[in-house]
Amino acid sequence: MGGDKIKKDRRQKREDYRAAMRQEGISELPRKKFYRQRAHANPFSDHQLIYPPHPDQMDWSSLYPDYVIDEPHHQESPPSSEVPPDNSELAPLKPKRISKDVEVADIGCGFGGLLVALAPTMPDKLILGLEIRVSVTQFVEDRIKALRAQNQDARLYRNVGVLRANTMKFLPNFFRKGQLTKVFICFPDPHFKARKHKQRIVSTTLNSEYAYVLRPGGIVYTITDVLDLHEWIVQHFDAHPSFERIGEEEQEADPCVGIMRTETEEGKKVERHKGQKYVALYRRLEDPAW
Amino acid sequence: MILPFHLVKVCGDIVFAAQGCDIHSFSSSLRHISTWKYPALKADESNGASKETQDSPAPEEPPAKRRRVEPGAGSETVTNGEEAASENGRPKSKKAAQYDVPANERPFVQGLYATTDGRHLIAITGSDKTIWVFEHDGAGNLKQLSQRAMPKRPCSLTLTRDNRTILSADKFGDVYALPLLPSTTATPSSAPATQPPSRSSTPSTPASAPFKPQATELTVHTKRNLKALENQKISLDRKARQEQASQRPQFEHTLLLGHVSMLTAICVGTAPARTTSGDAAAGQEREQEGSPKVREYIITADRDEHIRVSRSMPQAHVIEGFCLGHEDFVSRLCVAPGGREELLISGGGDDYLFVWDWVRGQLLGKAGVLEHVKGVAGEEGATKVAVTRVFPCRWEGGVGVFVVVERVPALFRYELLKDNTLQHRETIPIPGNPLDVDALGTSGISPRLLVAAYPSTSSEGSSSPSLIALDKEEAGWRQTPVEDLSAGGGYNIGEIELQKILYSTESLRKLSDFD
Repeated sequence: MGGDKIKKDRRQKREDYRAAMRQEGISELPRKKFYRQRAHANPFSDHQLIYPPHPDQMDWSSLYPDYVIDEPHHQESPPSSEVPPDNSELAPLKPKRISKDVEVADIGCGFGGLLVALAPTMPDKLILGLEIRVSVTQFVEDRIKALRAQNQDARLYRNVGVLRANTMKFLPNFFRKGQLTKVFICFPDPHFKARKHKQRIVSTTLNSEYAYVLRPGGIVYTITDVLDLHEWIVQHFDAHPSFERIGEEEQEADPCVGIMRTETEEGKKVERHKGQKYVALYRRLEDPAW
Repeated sequence: MILPFHLVKVCGDIVFAAQGCDIHSFSSSLRHISTWKYPALKADESNGASKETQDSPAPEEPPAKRRRVEPGAGSETVTNGEEAASENGRPKSKKAAQYDVPANERPFVQGLYATTDGRHLIAITGSDKTIWVFEHDGAGNLKQLSQRAMPKRPCSLTLTRDNRTILSADKFGDVYALPLLPSTTATPSSAPATQPPSRSSTPSTPASAPFKPQATELTVHTKRNLKALENQKISLDRKARQEQASQRPQFEHTLLLGHVSMLTAICVGTAPARTTSGDAAAGQEREQEGSPKVREYIITADRDEHIRVSRSMPQAHVIEGFCLGHEDFVSRLCVAPGGREELLISGGGDDYLFVWDWVRGQLLGKAGVLEHVKGVAGEEGATKVAVTRVFPCRWEGGVGVFVVVERVPALFRYELLKDNTLQHRETIPIPGNPLDVDALGTSGISPRLLVAAYPSTSSEGSSSPSLIALDKEEAGWRQTPVEDLSAGGGYNIGEIELQKILYSTESLRKLSDFD
C-alpha cells in the first residue's frame, strides 16, 4: 500500500517535472532522476516508433531549426494540370529542407553526454543522437533545449539533435547511402547470453548497414567496458570486408576518441568504478568493383 | 476436414500441388500421378501420447527448440484444434499466445520452388524448418535427395541464376546460401563443431572461441550481479559447449546477409555490370568476354517495410540500395519477366502494389489493390489488404501480373504496360479464396492458370473444388475443377487452426496500440 503510494507520487513528480521542463523559456538543465528508464529495450519488438518511409521524407527542420532553408512558398514545381493526381502519392509532401545533412550519428546515445561534448568541437557538422528509450530520449531533448537557451549568444548546440529510433531496424529510413562520416557506438548493451547475441548492435549482418550509411573513408567508433563484447566487435568488423581497423597511433590522435572515453555518461561511470575501456575504430573502405 | 491444396508449382508440364504436408503431382491434363508424403507423420500418429511436439524428424538435425505445450496436447490437438482455439478465444497478449498450442506446429509445406530446368523441386516445411530437395524425373515422380533443417524457419527461398545455390530467407532475418546439391565429398558429420563448414568472402559469424566468462569483476558491480557472474562461470562453460555442438547445422551453409526484422520474401535480379567502375582489370575482363557482363543481386523484403538490394555472392555484404516507400509490411516480391528485369513489383499490407526500378531504388508507380478488393467484398467488407501472391507471366503478348489477396475470393489481373505502369485489367471471381496461382503451358497467347483455393462451403454442405484450372476463352473464364483427392486429406484438423496456417499474411501487420 505504502509502496504503491510512493510509486504513484514518484510517477506524478516525474510527470510534473517533465511537463515543467517542456515549458518555453526553461533553460535549466534537466535532472536525470526524472527520466530513468530500464537499461534494456528489445530491438525486435514493434515499439510505437515514428520514422519516415524514406530518408527524403524525413523532416529535420524541428531538430535543427537554425538550418532550415527559407523557401518562398513551397512552389518549386508549379502545379500543372498535366501531372496526374497519382503523382502526388509518388512524391509526398516535401518536408522543409535544411541546409546541411546529418553527418555524425551516435547510435544509442543514452543521456547524450557524447553529443553534448562533440557539438562544440565540430560546429559545422550536424550531429544526431539515436536512442530507443522514450524517457531517455526526452531527457536529451530537454538537455539540448536547455543548452541552446543557456548558450543563446554563442549559438552553441544548434547542431545537435536527438531522435527516438530503433537503429537496428530503421537506420536506412533516416540516412541515405553514404550520408554519414562518423558513427559512434558507445557502451552498447552487452547482451551476455549467447541466445541474445543477435540483439547486439554489432554483427556482421548489421555491419553491412553501417557500411551502407557511411561514405568511404567514414569511421565507426566503438567503445565498451566489456572485454568480451570488445572482442566480439573486433571479430565482426574484422570479418567484414567493407571495414578496416584503424591503427593505434591514428586512433589515439583522433580527438573524438578522447571525448568518447571521458565524456560519455557510461565512460564516466566506468571511470568511477576504475574499470577498463576498450576502443576500436574502423574505416569504411571503398566497395570493390562489381 | 479435408485439406485444401494450398500451393501449386508448375515444373515443365507437370503440376505439383501441396496439400497439408504432402506433395501431389499431376500431368498437364491434370491427372494425378503420384504423391510424396511427409515421412514423420507416421511416427507422430503412433506416438500419440507424446507431450513434446516432435519437431525434428531428421536424424541429422539439431535438437529442436523446446516448446511449451499444454499437458495432454501434442498430437491430440490435431483432432481438438478447433475446440481448443474457440475455448481460449483470441489470445490477449503475445505471451498468452505462446502458451497456446502453436497452430502451425504441423510441418505444412510452406513453399514449393523449382529449378528453371524443372529437374529439381524444393520444398520448405514449416514447423520443422526443413528445406527438402527432390529430383524430378520430368514425369511427375519425385526422389528425395536431401533434407536440411535450418537454424530458423525459412520464410521464402529462391535460387541463384545458375540454379546451383539455394538462398533461404528466414524468420530471424538472415539469408543463408546452401548448395542445391550438397557436395558428396564433404563429410559433414565429421566436421568439428567449432569450425563451421561455411566459408566465403562474405563474413560469416566468426566461430566462437573456447568459452570464457563474459563479464568480469571489473564490469559487474552490484552484489546480485557479482553472484550471478559467479554462477555463470560455474555452469555456462559446460552448457555452452553442449550448445555449440548441437546448434550448428551439420551441412554446408553460409550466412550472406541479414535484416533485424523477419524476412518475408526474397528474389534474385540481374542487371548489366557497372560501366562507371574505374577498375581497369574489371574493364579488361569485360572486353575479353565480348558481351556486357550481367551482375546478380539479391533482393530481400521484410516485415518492417524494407526492400533491400544487395550484391550477390561473393559480395553479398555490399548493400547497393533500398526500395523504400511501403508503409506496411512487404510480403511479396517479383522481378518482371520478359526482358524487363529492371522492374520489381512488390505487395504487402499497403493498399497498393508498388513498381520499382530496383537498380536505382526508385519508385516508378503504384497500382491500387484495395479499390478492386472492395469491388469483390463490398465497400464495407474491406478496409485493408494483405497481398499474398504477385505472380507475373506472359499474357497476350505482354506481361500479366496475377494478384492474390488474403481471404478474398478473386484473382486480380494486372497488366504491366510499356511505360512501366501497372494497370488493373480484370477481377476473376473464384469459388473459394485463392491461396496460390501458377501458369501451365507455353503455347497459345495466354497460358492456362492453376489456382489452389480454400474451398467455400455452400449451404447444402458441398464444398467448392480446391484446385481449379482456368482457361481464358472469348466468352470468359472456363473453370475446370481438378480431380478430387479426398483420400489424400485423411487427417483431421480444426478449421480455425487450418485457417491460421493458410491465412498467415495478415498477421504480419503491426498492432497499432502496442508500445
